[in-house]
Amino acid sequence: MSKIIPVLLIVSGSICSAAPQAAEQTALVAKYCAGCHNDKVKTAGLSLEGLDLSKPGNDADVWEKVLRKVSANQMPPTNLPHPDEATRKAFTAYLQTELDRAASAHPNPGHPTIHRLNRAEYSNAIRDLLALDVQPGSNLPPDDSGYGFDNIGDVLSLSPVLIEKYMSVGRMVARLAVGDTDVKPVVDTFSPVKEVRAASKGGPKVPRNERISDDLPFDSAGGLAIHYTFPVDGEYVFKIKMPGAPAPVGDTIVPASNNLELRVPVKAGVRSVGLTFMRSSAVPEILPVFGNGRGGGGGGGRGGAAPPLTGHLDLRLDGVRLKLYDVPDNGNGGNFTEFSIAGPYNVQGAGDTPSREKIFVCKPAAASQEDGCARKIISTLGRRAFRRPFTETDLKPLMAFYTTGRKEKDFDNGIEMALRAMLVSPDFLFRMERDPAGSAPGSVHRVNDYELASRLSFFLWSSIPDDELLSLADQGKLRDPKVIEKQVARLLEDPKSSAFTSNFAGQYLYLRNLASLKPDPDVFPDFDNNLRQSFEKETQLFFNAIVRENRPVTDLLDAKFTYLNQHLAEFYGVPGVYGPQFRRVEITDPNRQGVLGQGSLLMVTSYPNRTSVVQRGKWVLENLLGTPPPPPPPNVPSLDPHGKDGKLSMRQAMEMHRANPVCATCHSRMDPIGFALENFDGIGAWRDEDNGSKIDSSGKLPDGAAFNGAAGLRTLLLTQHRDEFISTFTEKLMIYALGRGLESYDRPAIRTIMRDALKDNTTIPSLIRAIIASPQFQMRKTTDLRSKES
Amino acid sequence: MIVTKKALARRTFLRGFGTVLALPLLDSMIPAFSATRLTPGKPAIRMAFCYVPNGIIQKDWLPTADGANFEFMPTMKALEPFRDKVVVLSNLAQINGRALGDGAGDHARAGATWLTGVHPKKTEGADIHAGISADQVAAKVLGQQTQFGSLEIGLEEPYLAGGCDSGYSCAYTNTISWRGPTSPNPMQISPRAIFERLFGDGETTDPAARIKRMQQDKSILDYVRGDVARLEPGLGVRDKSKLDEYLESIRDIERRIQKAEEQSATMKLPVMERPVGIPETFEEHAKLMSDLMVIAFQTDMTRVVTFMMAREGSNRSYREIGVPDGHHSVTHHQNDPVKISKTQQIDQHHVKSFAYLVKRLNETQDGDGTLLDHTMLLYGSSIRDGNVHDHHDLPLVLVGGKSVDIKGGRHLRYKPETPMNNLLLTMLDKSGVPAETLGDSTGKVDQLSGV
Repeated sequence: MSKIIPVLLIVSGSICSAAPQAAEQTALVAKYCAGCHNDKVKTAGLSLEGLDLSKPGNDADVWEKVLRKVSANQMPPTNLPHPDEATRKAFTAYLQTELDRAASAHPNPGHPTIHRLNRAEYSNAIRDLLALDVQPGSNLPPDDSGYGFDNIGDVLSLSPVLIEKYMSVGRMVARLAVGDTDVKPVVDTFSPVKEVRAASKGGPKVPRNERISDDLPFDSAGGLAIHYTFPVDGEYVFKIKMPGAPAPVGDTIVPASNNLELRVPVKAGVRSVGLTFMRSSAVPEILPVFGNGRGGGGGGGRGGAAPPLTGHLDLRLDGVRLKLYDVPDNGNGGNFTEFSIAGPYNVQGAGDTPSREKIFVCKPAAASQEDGCARKIISTLGRRAFRRPFTETDLKPLMAFYTTGRKEKDFDNGIEMALRAMLVSPDFLFRMERDPAGSAPGSVHRVNDYELASRLSFFLWSSIPDDELLSLADQGKLRDPKVIEKQVARLLEDPKSSAFTSNFAGQYLYLRNLASLKPDPDVFPDFDNNLRQSFEKETQLFFNAIVRENRPVTDLLDAKFTYLNQHLAEFYGVPGVYGPQFRRVEITDPNRQGVLGQGSLLMVTSYPNRTSVVQRGKWVLENLLGTPPPPPPPNVPSLDPHGKDGKLSMRQAMEMHRANPVCATCHSRMDPIGFALENFDGIGAWRDEDNGSKIDSSGKLPDGAAFNGAAGLRTLLLTQHRDEFISTFTEKLMIYALGRGLESYDRPAIRTIMRDALKDNTTIPSLIRAIIASPQFQMRKTTDLRSKES
Repeated sequence: MIVTKKALARRTFLRGFGTVLALPLLDSMIPAFSATRLTPGKPAIRMAFCYVPNGIIQKDWLPTADGANFEFMPTMKALEPFRDKVVVLSNLAQINGRALGDGAGDHARAGATWLTGVHPKKTEGADIHAGISADQVAAKVLGQQTQFGSLEIGLEEPYLAGGCDSGYSCAYTNTISWRGPTSPNPMQISPRAIFERLFGDGETTDPAARIKRMQQDKSILDYVRGDVARLEPGLGVRDKSKLDEYLESIRDIERRIQKAEEQSATMKLPVMERPVGIPETFEEHAKLMSDLMVIAFQTDMTRVVTFMMAREGSNRSYREIGVPDGHHSVTHHQNDPVKISKTQQIDQHHVKSFAYLVKRLNETQDGDGTLLDHTMLLYGSSIRDGNVHDHHDLPLVLVGGKSVDIKGGRHLRYKPETPMNNLLLTMLDKSGVPAETLGDSTGKVDQLSGV
């Protein structure tokens, strides 16, 4: 034992307690673990032989594994001798303390790979750089994801297709932002999407005809509302296509008399355009109360028919009526079929758009001022785009683009050319962190202030740092913990932090997959796109509220409120919610509380035509408990929902499946969780029966914990498995924050983060703050493998 | 005048992109690029690799008889009109699709091995590794003559959240095309994006304007190249490999621009409307993509197409043919005749769409014959039976016109466990792409040209 003392002196100085403890714990390992995990047997590829438990930090990756397994009571296996509970706790406490001590003496913050902006980040960066909110990233190919997120540097790859797209999208963005007056007229066509729902299961579908947007008058019904970017000051033609008499076969030309056209001058910029039907005064403002208030999944359904569209079609620009048309219903339902915007014609100029205001920080009054002004414009944009001080080396090649463009046409065109180049530069497209010159391979350093500014803004805004962050970096103040804390609060307060919800929660809670799901309309006649969007919106608003209101992360599972509109409230059977706007609603039904009761999650973990007990169970294990089931062994058949003869209930069929011991090891954990949620069908509607048999939502986990239904499951998760839930959430958040997968050397940081956050009731913002304060976020390890200096 | 069409989801505020995303109407519904520059007597060979996921029900696919007297089974029936150009292949295997100690993940390995024959590394992302795929080997050679080395076309969105298969990166199931062991090619699923890639997204097809734009693009690429060179010193190897990917892509685009400039002198105008959204059904989507492939071959924009008809492990439902279940779910049929029949219906539906592509190639004039005369198409899956996930005796069919030196009208049964890569190697050979080995190939397959 004596030989370890000097080491402990260095590491901690607390020899008195640690040394005898180490001996005790070593004996424990010998007694309960080494029988399987030795060099000879090497069960599961793990041997603990020869490892020095007095210095667990030396073999941190092994001991972290041991710590996880023993803490979760997964080791030693149930059928083998166990230490008593107190001994086990003492063992894990020792390991944890020693591992954390070693890590704090020698932190390993890892080395994130260079990180290409993903689609969302690209869109937001353009928005913040150029005051141009046109979601250009949606024109880029989808990004690959890893570890559950699409902002992982290692995984974000490049291909010629992508670079081509960056070039063409960059060109479009530059033209639009600068306001290229050579722009050719275009026609953009929009169709009103008819939202229909069946009044009863299998019954005829009727249009909902509600007010569809806050941009439209209160007494409007149906139609559409869009935010349209008018590229320059000029004239634009609004064209409304009304359904005509049936066209001759093979000829789709609609008689001209059915097209309504209006040509008006419009100023450049993003403007709202609305086209909607005005309700006649005879129709009551409030729609009839639907269903019997308990409804649930269309059981109640709509009381009467939808209000008919009237013959008054209202066309608005920025909320101001351009024209009110009389459009008598000629037997085609009265709705318009297409709306288009064509233009610009008779271009007047680039106009005063927010983009131009942001770009043109100076305006040359004479030719002699042009070069100087161009330098100023490009340097100002460049600093924001590259997220660091903009140097003469950066400026020179971009000025060459300016000069070419200036010669070709005019000053604005020169700026446009420089901007086009800037937007394809690796300095813009990549987040690159550089090891300080001369830092030794494997050594650890703080990231510089600009890199930290980017880490902050990309974490919370999925975008580039703003001027305030950059200025703080300029002044070298950003590394001050007090300053960071203030900035984090400011970033979270900013509306731009909605990106955190859409990107982090969108992937953690699988909301992103909602768009691509296609529930079977025969099984789910109540489902429509409106419901799909409402699901997404509900969970986004819900998550956002928990962040904004500094609520505990456990609220994700048990908050007693959510956000509903009439459609969703009817679907859930919540009475008293009228109209299409979302509002906060108290949820009294314990089964509906939290994300486990929300349609979004219930739908994304289902199949197109039925629920999936396994997918739901797996989601909970993976995303709430952090113990994803191992993948199924090869050649395992999937389940037959009603057994071979079609007579079994889902539960009976699954129980058969579980009779196979190979299947049982995982399914004994997944299935009970999934069964607890069986009262929610494949799109999240409440049901009491499935395939004619009453649903049994009781369950029991292998450790004996029994529970009943969604509410029971939630209680279990928040009591016995609270720590696992919080640590799993923290890990996911950490992956997202760092843009890399986690390694065993990150575990001490995670534990510290959880301890720090606990002081603030483990709210989501407290976790965010603790992550940002961690060495993993503020530091970086110099790469061991370096390319040749050339 | 330019037209776009957008379906506007209710309550969605579409941020109109205005001009920037708009599409040329009159003049430019007609792509401005030219047809093949074929030297008479030696037509260019085109290759298409068409993939379906989750295996194919064998009893309805594989003819019982070998040789020339084979019968078309129901799944393959749609190819019967092209009998003399069809070779059915059996007993070829992607041995590296097996677990080989890596446990579950047969779907990921199926996608990753089909055209590579390389056992993929089991990883969730950071260090994906497979091998260069046959289509990309072909693209490197055949692509020297064309603007695009290859096109990678898919019909299903990549999976965007959560894991894909048992600890394997989604890259393995999202694509079958690999530029190199660590560079998966994304599948492009938007017909419009492919059209614009081929024929430009400009507002005009005026050659002078296009050439001007190309020159601007070239100077931007020069700038970016210089920038990368400045950034590289001192970066870690992983960082550097990312920048190398970037540089490699830039070189590819530069080469394409050069080709486009050369070609812009000789223009023939095949007619095709610029596609708008993504068609709702599999069949319509597949047809539109097939039309684009035909036009890409016809205009000699590329000679290699990789067509992934669904993501590996796809759970797409095919309601339009009466199969609302997920594809992957029904392939785990447990020998239930109902599920087998559903799977077979999907298989047959896939082959029908493939037959449409063959038919279009067959109707399209090219040089001294039809496009099909000059095209070699491979169709199949990298799993034999979706119920058991095995990778031997893969369902494969080769279709080739008269110029590609394949003797059709036969069912060739190889020795069990013959690497499928031997077939790929032989296909490359017949397209004038010299390659000694590919993945786990052990030689070439004989008999393709006749016995």
